[in-house]
Amino acid sequence: MEGKIPEFGRFAEPSLLILVSLTDGPKHGYAIMQDVEGGTGRPMGAGTLYAALARLEEQGLIEPLPPIDRRRPYRLTAVGASNLAEQLRGLSEFAQMGLRQLGKTSP
Amino acid sequence: MRSLLIRCYPARWRARYGEEFAAILEERPLGPFDVADILLGALDAQLRLRGHSVDTQNARSFTMSLRVGGVAAIIGASLIIIVIALTGGLTQGSHEVNAIALLVALAALLVALTGLSAFQARSNPWLVWTAFAVTAVGTLTIFIASVSDLAGAGPRDWRDGLLPIGAVTAVLGSVTFGIATYRGSVLSRKGALALVIGPTVGLIGAIAVGQDLWELGMPLVDVGIVSFLAGWFTLGVAAIRLDRTSGLKPA
Repeated sequence: MEGKIPEFGRFAEPSLLILVSLTDGPKHGYAIMQDVEGGTGRPMGAGTLYAALARLEEQGLIEPLPPIDRRRPYRLTAVGASNLAEQLRGLSEFAQMGLRQLGKTSP
Repeated sequence: MRSLLIRCYPARWRARYGEEFAAILEERPLGPFDVADILLGALDAQLRLRGHSVDTQNARSFTMSLRVGGVAAIIGASLIIIVIALTGGLTQGSHEVNAIALLVALAALLVALTGLSAFQARSNPWLVWTAFAVTAVGTLTIFIASVSDLAGAGPRDWRDGLLPIGAVTAVLGSVTFGIATYRGSVLSRKGALALVIGPTVGLIGAIAVGQDLWELGMPLVDVGIVSFLAGWFTLGVAAIRLDRTSGLKPA
């Protein structure tokens, strides 16, 4: 049941941003949107947010908590945390490789 | 406007996320970017839920194929064993009754072949459907030969009729089906091997009998029949066990 974020197609990047946002504790949808916008400087639409949330929940990477009023918080699962760590390590290695190559070719 | 946008999502999606989604949309005014984003999200949800439903239906039809195939394999193999046991190896009782019972058993095995082929075709479709086609042609040829024999229209010597052609074709198909099942590794591999070995040994025995080498041929025919029936029975049991462990219910 463990999903791979890159397989989420155009929702891969929003999914990664949501998982990162949930690393410091459970959040409801609007709080995630604000967090992502604050971190990246780019807004995330509600349609994109819920398309990514549905995929993440289906793959067991996040789980819903009981709603507070009409807002439902979500939290990262153990599988989600491990999957996120793996993705971030991969991105970090890729970024370091790119920076090294830039260092070699730059004048 | 907001409720209209939410209604663009499928009912199942709205039942799960509708309330919290509506709460988010009320947090701030909607701009053209938000409307476009929500419409794209609704389209994605429609396509995904439809795709999921097709996947579920496919999974259910595969489960149904497995169940029908498994039950038919057990019935077909058991019926042949019962007929052989009750008639002392088809030497006693009415020739017509024995032939009809064997034809019914053969039909059950054909159903089993169809069901288990449909179930296994996901992994190796070319090999599985080739095995199915060859075995089905062989079995139908045996059917036609047996029915014409029952109607008194068959040849005087069975070796001159369609029966040997059907038997050889069915043996080739059964061996191919056994190989496909063995390679698939989903059902019992022992059962698959028995389906390869049984008909091959049986055919060698039948050829020996055809050459009047009865003492050599008959034990081989017996071993072949037992192995063939044990193979189908084992595959049937494996299919039923697999069906029980599956969470999906047939449609």
